[in-house]
Amino acid sequence: MSLDPALVPNSRNGSNSSLVGARIPMVDSVDKVTGAGKYTDDLTLPGTLVGKILHSPHAHARILSIDASAAERLPGVHAVVTGRETPVRYGILPVGHDETIFATGKVRYIGDNVAGVAAESESVAEQALRLIKVVYEVLPAYFDPEKSMQAETNLIHDDKPQNIEKEYHHHFGNVEAGFAEADYIRDDRFECAEVTHAALEPHSTLAKFDPDGSVTVWSSTQVPYYLMRTLAATLKLSEEKVRVIKPLVGGGFGGKSEVIPLELAAAVLARKAGTPVKITYTREEVFYAHRGRPRQIVELKTGVKRDGKITAVEARIVQDGGAYCSYGVVTILYSGQLLNAMYDIPNVKFDGYRVLTNKPACGAMRGHGTVNSRFAFETQLNMIAEVLGIDPAEIRRRNLLRPPCVTVNGLRVLSYGYPECLEKVVERSGWKRKYGKLPYGKGIGLAGSHYVSGAANAIVRAEMPHTTVDISIDRSGMVTIYTGAAEIGQGSDTMQVQVVAAELGIGLDRVKIVAADTARTPVDLGSYSSRVTFMAGNAAIAAAREAKKQILAAAARKLDTTPENLALEGERITCRDPAWRDLSLSFAETAALAVGSDEALRASGSYSPPASAQGGKYKGAGVGPSPAYSYSAQTAEVTVDPETGEVKVDRVIAAHDCGKAINPLAVEGQVQGSVWMGLGQAVQEEMVWQGGRLMNPGLLEYRSASTLESPPIETIIVESNDPEGPFGAKEAGEGSLAATIPAVVQAIHDAVGVWITSLPVTPEKVLRALEEKRRREELSY
Amino acid sequence: MNQETIQLHINGKKFQIETEPNRLLLDVLRQDLGLTGTKRGCDDSSCGACTVLIDGEPQMSCLMLAVCYQDCEITTIEGVATLRGKDNELDPLQQGFVVEGGAQCGYCTPGMILTAKHLLAQNPDPTEDEINQALSGNLCRCTGYTQILASVRRAIELLRDPAWRDQEAQSR
Amino acid sequence: MSLPSFDVIRPRTQHAAVDELARYGAEVQMVAGGTDLIPSMKQGLFAPRVLLDLKPLRELDFIRFDPEQGLSIGALTRISTIAGSRVIAEQFPVLHEAAKTIASPLLRNMGTLGGNLCLDTRCLYYNQSHFWRDALGYCIKKDGSVCHVAPGGHFCWAVFSGDTAPALLALGATVRLASPRGPRQVPLEEFYANDGIVHIAKARDEIVTGIRVPASNAGWSGVYKRLRIRQSIDYPLAGVAAVMQKDEAGVCREVRVALTAVNPAPRLVDAAILKGKAYDAGLVEQVAYEAIRTGKPLRTSASTPEYRRQMIRVFVRRALRELWLNGRAEELGVTAH
Repeated sequence: MSLDPALVPNSRNGSNSSLVGARIPMVDSVDKVTGAGKYTDDLTLPGTLVGKILHSPHAHARILSIDASAAERLPGVHAVVTGRETPVRYGILPVGHDETIFATGKVRYIGDNVAGVAAESESVAEQALRLIKVVYEVLPAYFDPEKSMQAETNLIHDDKPQNIEKEYHHHFGNVEAGFAEADYIRDDRFECAEVTHAALEPHSTLAKFDPDGSVTVWSSTQVPYYLMRTLAATLKLSEEKVRVIKPLVGGGFGGKSEVIPLELAAAVLARKAGTPVKITYTREEVFYAHRGRPRQIVELKTGVKRDGKITAVEARIVQDGGAYCSYGVVTILYSGQLLNAMYDIPNVKFDGYRVLTNKPACGAMRGHGTVNSRFAFETQLNMIAEVLGIDPAEIRRRNLLRPPCVTVNGLRVLSYGYPECLEKVVERSGWKRKYGKLPYGKGIGLAGSHYVSGAANAIVRAEMPHTTVDISIDRSGMVTIYTGAAEIGQGSDTMQVQVVAAELGIGLDRVKIVAADTARTPVDLGSYSSRVTFMAGNAAIAAAREAKKQILAAAARKLDTTPENLALEGERITCRDPAWRDLSLSFAETAALAVGSDEALRASGSYSPPASAQGGKYKGAGVGPSPAYSYSAQTAEVTVDPETGEVKVDRVIAAHDCGKAINPLAVEGQVQGSVWMGLGQAVQEEMVWQGGRLMNPGLLEYRSASTLESPPIETIIVESNDPEGPFGAKEAGEGSLAATIPAVVQAIHDAVGVWITSLPVTPEKVLRALEEKRRREELSY
Repeated sequence: MNQETIQLHINGKKFQIETEPNRLLLDVLRQDLGLTGTKRGCDDSSCGACTVLIDGEPQMSCLMLAVCYQDCEITTIEGVATLRGKDNELDPLQQGFVVEGGAQCGYCTPGMILTAKHLLAQNPDPTEDEINQALSGNLCRCTGYTQILASVRRAIELLRDPAWRDQEAQSR
Repeated sequence: MSLPSFDVIRPRTQHAAVDELARYGAEVQMVAGGTDLIPSMKQGLFAPRVLLDLKPLRELDFIRFDPEQGLSIGALTRISTIAGSRVIAEQFPVLHEAAKTIASPLLRNMGTLGGNLCLDTRCLYYNQSHFWRDALGYCIKKDGSVCHVAPGGHFCWAVFSGDTAPALLALGATVRLASPRGPRQVPLEEFYANDGIVHIAKARDEIVTGIRVPASNAGWSGVYKRLRIRQSIDYPLAGVAAVMQKDEAGVCREVRVALTAVNPAPRLVDAAILKGKAYDAGLVEQVAYEAIRTGKPLRTSASTPEYRRQMIRVFVRRALRELWLNGRAEELGVTAH
């Protein structure tokens, strides 16, 4: 099926400059709008069995015995696997190998994985699960992190005293001196409820073993490479025997950025059953797999001079991490480390505790680690601005970084479009006309946020590039990109096609992409921490430059000149010298020359972050450093109904510094999606717990916003042209999320005069705060 | 199991299949007929990813027993492009979703397009509020809906374009 | 989440449906739009041997209005049809408003009036998967003996969450039923019982065939206020339907107020003190207070019972003020809060 070509820029005859910065539709979008594109659950192989997982009904219990014999005997059941057969521990972080495919000895949350079955139908599989008899000894459980930290007995993991997964105590500069210098100090406690990704596609994995013992796994993953490695480790296979293929992925947001139990369970069941097995989570299971944003308590103290200049910041952060490490060590570090690199803060102290509780593991979610700390910081800054009578935009201007610089904790900042973001939203929103001046019940708020463009230090400590992109050009001039980068809806494939076409001066329709198939594509670490555009983009450019060199060399031989005299643009190789302008070759014929007697012309490019971006040397220094940071400033306007406490967000304006918008269509979509997810966390979304029991494990009760609560989100692209970014680009998919929350909270304050320091801002919290305010005011008369 | 032979009318074609009465239309479409464009996103009928058109109206196939929908004309996303009667041509809504970025991960997209299809059939010139109302049962987790709205508006423009109207007339 | 095994029967006439219902007795369960039953069956809340599909009963899909006879709606009429009906919007605005707030457009295209009236009661401890309920040890409404909302009691507090019922209660509607013993009509308030387990006073062999609203109640002004977190898809967390008839002088002649989603049954609120009176904010406040004595929300839904009670009060106050003052609040010098 074809698209009306008039609607899509292609630039076959254009130049690089016309492709970089063009609004390019996603290369896979026709597949998506026609239903032709295949996601994992859309795939079936002959003989595929349905896999199902038995989950723990207890939050914390010892497994005394498992009797699966009745399940094994049930007609239609081909395999049952329990923890006895899956002893290998794994985890996304080298310091956090605390999971096994199925529980060995203990279960640690309601929903923990106890056993798996593979059967001929879903109903037989479900029946088999009911036949597995597990005897548990129920143990005391921990649900509140502040209480869990006091634990002495019945630890969740024996090697984690006081149920603390990890704690960090950082001190940069001298906060005592900083606070002594301050004219005004504020101390506030903020609480943020747990939220989850809720990608619309439930996780799904299809696994198939070949007779030679090698396995192919199709999975809805953001990290095919890590999945391949973990499959090899847990199944005790060598890595070349494991192939991971990522079909289309229906949204990730971090929820598929580590190995999720079903991915390993499907493989282990397929091996035992001797036939392909597919597991697709129910929506409820997706909630138990979780790995979302932890509940976080932030005790934040900020000191400022009378003019608003920050002298010191001290944060104590406790994260309710759930029962396993997951990305937790990184989450808690980001929460402290990225208090920096936004403003110029000379003295920073951070005490962070990642605490284990008997709930599903929290992990990485869009804006990983930064969102709740940023909410607290920006809200407190707005409170301070109010007390000091300084405009919130102005107090931010007075605390700007002066890049190029290195922050007190060792983060290198080169490009910094934040000042321009602030100016743009202040101007577009009519801030000066509105702030503090709207009628009662209407309000406007402002805040900022930032995020990494990939982590400068990889999770896997190995001497290898963070990403490699290969290119082959065949005799007809068709270009194929081979990349490990995982398209999850964010536009990774499109970005690479676009930069390669731009670099080679050819049309988009001359470029194909083969992505995220570990047997066919080079290593990329995955789609997380907003690393793909920066890293795979740079690698793709490097590969394209290498290919271009070969093309120009072939053309130079043919035209009897040197490559330096040639230009490649609009699918033609021409001489730079105007006198020889009419001497030219087409890209296709040159490709044939360059390929020569080979099968195809091949080129490769890699990316590793420079040493100067890799941060300091102290414990925990590895998390936070990035080759570049994106910046965002936002205004939110709200209407508050003082009688019901209901908050309606009327309009959000987000200015995002993405370095360079290689594809503004995609950048806008990413910024809007981030802002919208921030809105959800601000006013609507919450995982509701009763002890270890999740009360809302479904989309009916989790309440991701519909069109009706979703305001227009206006985006302003700010381009700071990062010196190391591909065409100057930085990240666009996460950095805007955090600012939305404090902007909304301030807008509510502007509307009705109350600060809400606990998320989500439910109508009830607003109402209680208003009642409290009224009582205080009555008392003071 | 109590198998039944049923007939379904899908995308202008007639299918005869053997199935149990407890099978959902969603599962029959995906598993028996290979029409995997219809998606499962939740289990509590809240997300709209499984939307199909029943006699032109958007409804959720996760709530339908296939045996109960034998008298209806069922349209899935696979039937949208060919509905125009001309192969190789995307529907204006599909064009709109491509060009305006309405499909990020693409998982809600089939449902969104089918729901919007009904809206534009009823009301070729809806207001912003009417579009929002019509799409309010289809959840998207990627876009924040801004580009989905732009996609629908682009489709409305395309439909207004005389060239499209001519094609539409020819295809009938 | 597979569905249990069952047979489906699809009678073509009401008569045949009544016969089939009687024949299968306790083994059969009726389904129309499926919006309530199918998700519940996935969760293992129901496992009938036979499902009786009512959708083929076209004879029960109608809206008739006659100034003499009043309004009659067939049970198989879909919610979207009611929400889109001009005569209902004009003559029975409270029903129009209630219908258009239900769930989402997709669900309104499927759900029927009969289904909405017979909606199962809902509770956070009940509308969960079999796994979830098993892990908890079940509840008094299904497979267990404890109510987790009010532990220690032997009562089920699951809430009725239909939106059309309060509107129709306010309109003084009657329900029409058919059974092998013939047709019968009951006032809607007698159709419901305030018990989360047995909340509908209907014999097993009876089919709801429709509702009827007396002609005398046509043209009453009415409003429906609904508490929700998400503006679409959600069930109500509290709902208030109110209708009023005034004379030219603005004196209240008739008034009825009903609540939903805060008790195991929709409930009428005593608002008789308003009759014969001109607008009086104090009286409105008294009815609002009466409403929170009638509505007894517990922790069956999202949000807290305290907040839901408070919103009932606000909604009753707002509804009555709107109806009584026709938006003339400002000229009468009544402030918004």
